[in-house]
Amino acid sequence: MIETRLGEFEEVILLLVGILGEEAYAFNIAEEFESQAGRPVSIGAVHSTLTRLEEKGFLTSQMGESTAERGGRRKRIYTITAYGRKTLSAARDFRIALWKQFPGFATSKLS
Amino acid sequence: MENKKHTPPRLARRFLLTFLRHDLAEEVQGDLDEKFLSMLRKTTPARAKLQYWYQVLQYLRPFAIRKSTSSSNHYAMFRNYFKIGWRNLAKQKMYSFVKIGGFALGIAACLLIALFIRDELSYDQFYADGNRIYRVVEVYTDHGETERGVWMEAPFAAAVKTDYPEIEKAGRYNPVELFGAGSNQIRPDNGMDNTYEEGFVFADQEFLEILKVPMVYGNLAHCLDQPNSMVITKSKADKYFPGENPVGQLMVVNDDAKQPYKIGGVIEDFPANSQFDFHFIITMKEREFWQGESNYWGASNYPTYLLLRPGTDVKQLEKKLLRVTEKYLLPLWIEQGRSNAKQMAKDMQYELQPIANVHLRNAGIEDPVPSHGDIRFVWLFGVVAAFILIIACINFINLSTAKSANRAKEVGLRKTVGSFRSNIINQFLIESLLFSFLSFTLGLLLAWLFLPYFNVLASKSLSFPWNEWWLAPVMLGSCVLIGLLAGLYPSFYLSSFKPIQVLKGNVSRGSKNATTRSVLVVFQFTTSIILIISTFVIYRQVHYILTKDAGFDKEQVLLLQGTNTLGDKLKTLKDELLQLADVKSVSVSDYLPINGTKRNGNGFWLEGRNTIDKSIGGQFWQVDHDYVKTMGLRLAAGRDFSRDMASDSSAVIINQKMAKELGLTDPVGKRMMNWQVYTIIGVVEDFNFDSFRSDISPLVLKLGTSPKIVSVKLNAKDVTTTLASIETIWKRVVPHQAIRYSFLDERFNRMYDDVQRMGHIFTTFAVLAIIVACLGLFALSAFMIEQRGKEISIRLVLGASMENIFRLLTFNFVKLVLISIVIAAPVAWYMMDKWLQDFSYKTELSWDVFALGGVMAVVIALITISYQAIRAGLANPAASLRSE
Repeated sequence: MIETRLGEFEEVILLLVGILGEEAYAFNIAEEFESQAGRPVSIGAVHSTLTRLEEKGFLTSQMGESTAERGGRRKRIYTITAYGRKTLSAARDFRIALWKQFPGFATSKLS
Repeated sequence: MENKKHTPPRLARRFLLTFLRHDLAEEVQGDLDEKFLSMLRKTTPARAKLQYWYQVLQYLRPFAIRKSTSSSNHYAMFRNYFKIGWRNLAKQKMYSFVKIGGFALGIAACLLIALFIRDELSYDQFYADGNRIYRVVEVYTDHGETERGVWMEAPFAAAVKTDYPEIEKAGRYNPVELFGAGSNQIRPDNGMDNTYEEGFVFADQEFLEILKVPMVYGNLAHCLDQPNSMVITKSKADKYFPGENPVGQLMVVNDDAKQPYKIGGVIEDFPANSQFDFHFIITMKEREFWQGESNYWGASNYPTYLLLRPGTDVKQLEKKLLRVTEKYLLPLWIEQGRSNAKQMAKDMQYELQPIANVHLRNAGIEDPVPSHGDIRFVWLFGVVAAFILIIACINFINLSTAKSANRAKEVGLRKTVGSFRSNIINQFLIESLLFSFLSFTLGLLLAWLFLPYFNVLASKSLSFPWNEWWLAPVMLGSCVLIGLLAGLYPSFYLSSFKPIQVLKGNVSRGSKNATTRSVLVVFQFTTSIILIISTFVIYRQVHYILTKDAGFDKEQVLLLQGTNTLGDKLKTLKDELLQLADVKSVSVSDYLPINGTKRNGNGFWLEGRNTIDKSIGGQFWQVDHDYVKTMGLRLAAGRDFSRDMASDSSAVIINQKMAKELGLTDPVGKRMMNWQVYTIIGVVEDFNFDSFRSDISPLVLKLGTSPKIVSVKLNAKDVTTTLASIETIWKRVVPHQAIRYSFLDERFNRMYDDVQRMGHIFTTFAVLAIIVACLGLFALSAFMIEQRGKEISIRLVLGASMENIFRLLTFNFVKLVLISIVIAAPVAWYMMDKWLQDFSYKTELSWDVFALGGVMAVVIALITISYQAIRAGLANPAASLRSE
């Protein structure tokens, strides 16, 4: 059995970082999560997860440019590492493999 | 852009920055600002702000919170403050000793006094219905003089309970020795040997119910409701019936086997902080001390306690109680033919005193409670304690500011390196806290060590409340509070130094604040001198009382007590005692000129004047033929009782006061009366038979039997051998009862125990205050001399004598002490004059007490300073001049 080392929330955050690309910083990710998942999340919670993912080596970060909205403060932009990608796709593959074994849902739609 | 007006809540941001890791500050604040703006677009500013708060709080996560050691130097600074404080303490051992030692002494004194006060205030606070229990006080105003007493008539309790629905219960007790309360001989009915016991009292069943005394055996509701029943305390039950339930057992009082008392219940002992000290409570059920007593409104022998119903207006009830006088007392007075009965009724009022006030607030109330405190002393001791603490605090302040020169450079350097004034203040406050903490620890230790001695001194049994939950917080709280208070002035003073001046070296070397310091020294010495003078006056008064001619001869009089059980054998005892060579005379009478013996108040008139005049209150004592001789009373006129005169059975001897009150210049041969007519055969000189606090009252002596005490006048060179032979006689005559004796002069002195005790306590605290103040003076003078070291050396080189130097150095301090004397004398005079007003017989407040107190203060101060001054005068001038 392949054990994924990603929690559900971690996986979503990681995906969102990938989706947002150059605009992946804590506030934006939280907003995106809220609009896609339909439930609010605090920036602190997102930030905490981002830090953890960075510690695990799935993400790297560097300071980006500053904007007037932020009172001239810079933002921290996160990017997925190759290891992060690999772990993401492994997690997806594992899920699909499990779905295929589920008799009621074993349809081609998911593949 | 109206959004521009709204900014994120500042407080929230401030809060965020207090905990957030510094490296995250920029991105997090940016993110939150962006969030805030986006919220502003979507919703109201208020909601946006709330949201901002929410986001801030959501950052309280381990990853975002700053690690304390990594990012702050606060902790390091605190450590530095402690380190520097400790080094200062260790470097200047003498000053530190004075600061901490003085402080600790002050704190120890305060703690002991606080324990004392706590105990005094705890009296009678423990009754279940305590807030509804009241003692009835009768107030009688006679020609503008108000008398208060708690003695109520026998039917009073039952009458008010029926008449006033507000009164739920009413109970009386009777502690009058005349009726057999107080001390007696007792034994279980199956025993043989009598034992002397104290604490007998007669009381109602309801009296115990009002107090809700906790029961060990028996039922509170029925323990005294049978005639001849008795309740005893647990300690007595354990003594006479160890390990068994004594309810239903019989006890015999004073060998009267015909009428034993049945034990109806056992109660817990009254606690030490109770106004009652009863051990044997005999029921009043169906008991009358004379025929018709329970309905007679002419005799008052019962302290009466009431339990009011909840919500009763006490003031209203007091007013309503006025009707008692009209309804019950007035008819009696009219029947007795008192011409001023109406006026008497008008002058009579009742007050209800809460039971918790009985111990401390009893001024002017005549009552039988054995050990009263005095709220004034509680306050006085509190003030004394506070002053000693203040003196100790002043030492701290004075020394800190005086030694400031030594710390000035440090302050200058700290400021240059970047300290704010607040940092410096913090530093010195922390140092002060350090001192305070050390002093408190030491003070606590000292107090604990000295508690046993203090207990002896104050005649208390206090113990340290180590186990109380509040002790630690209270101690810690006061430690911090006092540390801050004492450190406030020095820290503000020290932190005000300007770095440039200080570092340039022209700081005023501790002499700038000389005025403040002088004022504080004057304060210390004023307080100490007041205490010294008070101590002198108290001792003088004690001495005055103990050596004053009381009017009777109290030396070598032996009192044999408990002889009321002897019956016919009393005569044998007396005869045998008289056989001894060293025995001069023997008298049998319970009425003696010391507290705690029998008293019997009566009203007297000249013969036939009882319906016309107001009665003269006086004592009516039953004595025997040898009384006047044995007590050494001096006859002013007439003769003593004589065995040869049969008519002496209706004769009396009065004292001069009684003669004066009756208006007789030549009383011998005149006749007077109470309920019976007597012929006056003699007048004795006035003698003090009550405390010197009160005037001598009128007295009438009459032949009669009162067999409880045998007084033996000795004329012995060797009292011990005489005592041994008296004991042998006692054992032969009274084999079943242990001999119990005391000496008249000892008993007399014991009446003034409280005054002596007060004297001792005052001495102790005066000495303490002086020690603490002198410690301060010692250190201060050492410092001054240190500062003037070079000056002294130069003076010595130029030829100044030792005497010159001494005078130079001591003059300033002596001046301060002289100023203190001028301030202290009037204050002490005022206070002591007030205190002496308590006594009818008092020593004079003469100038020599003040002079003595003042001289003592000067001498003590001089001795304190002179050690340092002489050392400075003897020092080799080269030693201090060479260094430059």
